[in-house]
Amino acid sequence: MTLLRLEDVGKSYGGVAALRGLSFAVGPGEIVGLMGANGAGKTTAFSLIAGTQRPSEGRIWFDGKRIDGKPAYAVARLGIARTFQIVRPFAGLTVIDNLVIAALYGRLRERSRGAAEARAREILAEVGLAADATRPAETLTLAGRKRLEVARAVAAGPRLLLLDEVLAGLTASEVAEALDMIRALHRRRRLTLVVIEHVMRALTQLCQRIIVLHHGAKIAEGSPAEVVVDQRVIDAYLGTRKL
Amino acid sequence: MTRQGWQTGLVLVAATALAAALPLALGTYSLGVALDLMMWIALAESWAMFSGLSGYVSLGHAVFYGVGAYVTVLLWQVLPLWFSVPLGGLTAAALALLLGWPCLRVRGPYFVILTLGISEFIKYAVISTEAALGRNGRLLIGTPSLTVLFEAMLALAVLSMAVLQIVRSARLGAGLLAIREDEVAAEAVGINATAVKLSAFAMSAFIPGMVGGLMILRSTYFEPMQAFSPTTSFTIVTVAILGGSDTVAGPLLGSLFLVLLSELLWTRAPEVYMIILGVLLVAFVLFVPEGLVGRAGRFLRAPKPGPSSRDHRAVVIEP
Amino acid sequence: MEEVADVSLILSPQLLAAALVLAAFYALIAIGLNLVYGAMRLLNVAHGELVMLGGYIAYWGFARWGISPLISAVFAVAAGALLGVLLYATIIRRLFRSTRMLARVEANSLLVFFGVSVVIQNVMAVAFTADQRGFSYMDGVLTIGSVRIEENRLLALAIATVACVACALFFRYARSGMAMRAIIQQREAAALVGIDVDRINIQVFALGFGLAALAGTLVSMTAQISPFMGFPFTVSAFVIIILGGLGNLLGSILGALMLAAVEVYGAALISPSFRSILVYGVFIAALLLRPQGLLGRSIAAR
Repeated sequence: MTLLRLEDVGKSYGGVAALRGLSFAVGPGEIVGLMGANGAGKTTAFSLIAGTQRPSEGRIWFDGKRIDGKPAYAVARLGIARTFQIVRPFAGLTVIDNLVIAALYGRLRERSRGAAEARAREILAEVGLAADATRPAETLTLAGRKRLEVARAVAAGPRLLLLDEVLAGLTASEVAEALDMIRALHRRRRLTLVVIEHVMRALTQLCQRIIVLHHGAKIAEGSPAEVVVDQRVIDAYLGTRKL
Repeated sequence: MTRQGWQTGLVLVAATALAAALPLALGTYSLGVALDLMMWIALAESWAMFSGLSGYVSLGHAVFYGVGAYVTVLLWQVLPLWFSVPLGGLTAAALALLLGWPCLRVRGPYFVILTLGISEFIKYAVISTEAALGRNGRLLIGTPSLTVLFEAMLALAVLSMAVLQIVRSARLGAGLLAIREDEVAAEAVGINATAVKLSAFAMSAFIPGMVGGLMILRSTYFEPMQAFSPTTSFTIVTVAILGGSDTVAGPLLGSLFLVLLSELLWTRAPEVYMIILGVLLVAFVLFVPEGLVGRAGRFLRAPKPGPSSRDHRAVVIEP
Repeated sequence: MEEVADVSLILSPQLLAAALVLAAFYALIAIGLNLVYGAMRLLNVAHGELVMLGGYIAYWGFARWGISPLISAVFAVAAGALLGVLLYATIIRRLFRSTRMLARVEANSLLVFFGVSVVIQNVMAVAFTADQRGFSYMDGVLTIGSVRIEENRLLALAIATVACVACALFFRYARSGMAMRAIIQQREAAALVGIDVDRINIQVFALGFGLAALAGTLVSMTAQISPFMGFPFTVSAFVIIILGGLGNLLGSILGALMLAAVEVYGAALISPSFRSILVYGVFIAALLLRPQGLLGRSIAAR
């Protein structure tokens, strides 16, 4: 039983391969981590899954349907939502309207604004932004904007949520809070998560399974405990880095 | 709807009824001015519906006005006006679909100059066509009375305001605002940006097409240089930005101001009138981008921050 | 018969001369716009208005005081340069300091400059009326081989060519010329290698505006001028930058030759009223098909 499956997916820009032969599968309800250095191909993988970019080769299935080559909005409506590494809020709109828009257009396509707004308020409460609902998004702090990024993706009503470094740049206590928030969302909203993160410890705490990318190819996959002792991973990353 | 919503609605209905009765009270000259006012309202509200909400600033709306006028002129005494004027609007909307397909991929200042360039291109194409047909302007004899034209224009003005208000509070408006803020993020939450932009662009061309048809019946003389004049585009943009381009009240206020200014200056010193418009456009874009209505709203709401104070650019949510 | 006539038209040295003169004007205007656009990354739709102002300086000098347009040209260049320096020192420099203001202007640069251009046009219309104006200067006709050309056209062509060559040499060999090219390619990198961006920017505005004003005086020697003559030149200059590439000054000259040829031959082969259709047609096609021409290689690659 898989929700998402990638088969030999690759992407190259003008002959330079950013990603090669990537295959993996994610089952419903799982939390899977994507790990790797800058340029390893993590964000490229997200963009290909979410339809922001078109893969040069390979196939992607979501819920039994081919989605590679589909435009981003179509993928979003099928139930995949993503966050952006560099957050992209609708800066001039209020926090709640960021979510209302996602609820009106995402997989749920709420029929009325009233329903969309109710959903938005519920999610804002879950991510701790309820008090900021009517502030313009551009006035939020970085931590707030990262939360908004997650909240807006959730408002689209996804079954699969792709989180791209939502912890980066946060303080230690903010990281702990954000992890709790993600776990709570996962549980309450029955989400499947694929998470890109640089904060290694956060990743091992959060994920049941980790996929390690290096120079655009998968070099390891397994439970956090397995991955940290994998020789290729140690050679590529851990040997030179403190955990 | 809230009580306040009902009250606003009632005031609007009363205002429309009063305006509809104007021909009984006004002389020919004043009624002509009132017609101009309705024309600018209809044009600017339609423009704001697309450009104000999406941030894709069209400096080419004169082309829709001109095409509507041209269709009405070509079908003069061929088809009845109640048919040919709306057909002009439909042609304008179809043209918007055709142009929007390639153009709406171009963003920012390039979109602005592209719309201007296309409008000029079509103007010269019509001039060439008319020259090839051996026509130096076309005279229309026996056009409807000023009163009829005024009532029709009033209807278009009211329609354009209603359309903007409905779009603002509908899914489409939310999509347009999202596109204005960040098109990539908009697609990521399920907005088909191409479809949203195209449909809004076509909608915003429809009423200007009909306005062009009515205005050519008013002037009774079609000359492409005039009908497709880029000054029309420029004035629409200025009017909408002056008042505030993402509320219904903004273009209305801007049109009132414009007609007043034009009454004072247009016949006596047209250049001075254009200079003032140019200065206003630059000043408002740079210093009052939210427009008069937005500025007034911010001023009124400023003392009471908190959940009730909604940012002027926010999506309006019907309770 | 028709076919034969067409062929002879294409081969006509008369048309070639006309295309060359137009290309020379276009090149001057486009190089100026290329510089200013490259430095600001803002589309100055009011660039054509500088051409118009240059034209009026020559006209005014000649009609009022009988000053030769050749002397007026010097004044026009100086006036254009001064205007550029003033604009930069009073507004643009401040703009670059405030990111908030710059963001606002960038988003709406076209409306701002369009508004400015409407204001300039109408101020000139108030001062000089909206009528077309012209003056006769060296309007004798020379016959060189089979080409008959007015002396003033030949002179304008010569001056414009010299100015273009001087520009090309300046950008190739002079230190500040090279610095200008560096800034157009990559502002931050230019600053990093020790170029005083602010000082070079002033020179860019002075040179760019001065060239446009020079073009204006040359145009006024050969054609009628009016307060509203500027915009078509702006459009042509944009087309040329798109065709030739941002920061590519040789490209601007080639682009000017191409556009002038299309215009002159198109008008001759089809009909004079077709000229505007051709220019705007190329303009639209260029914007839709080659927007990277306006962005320069470094940005387009992102």
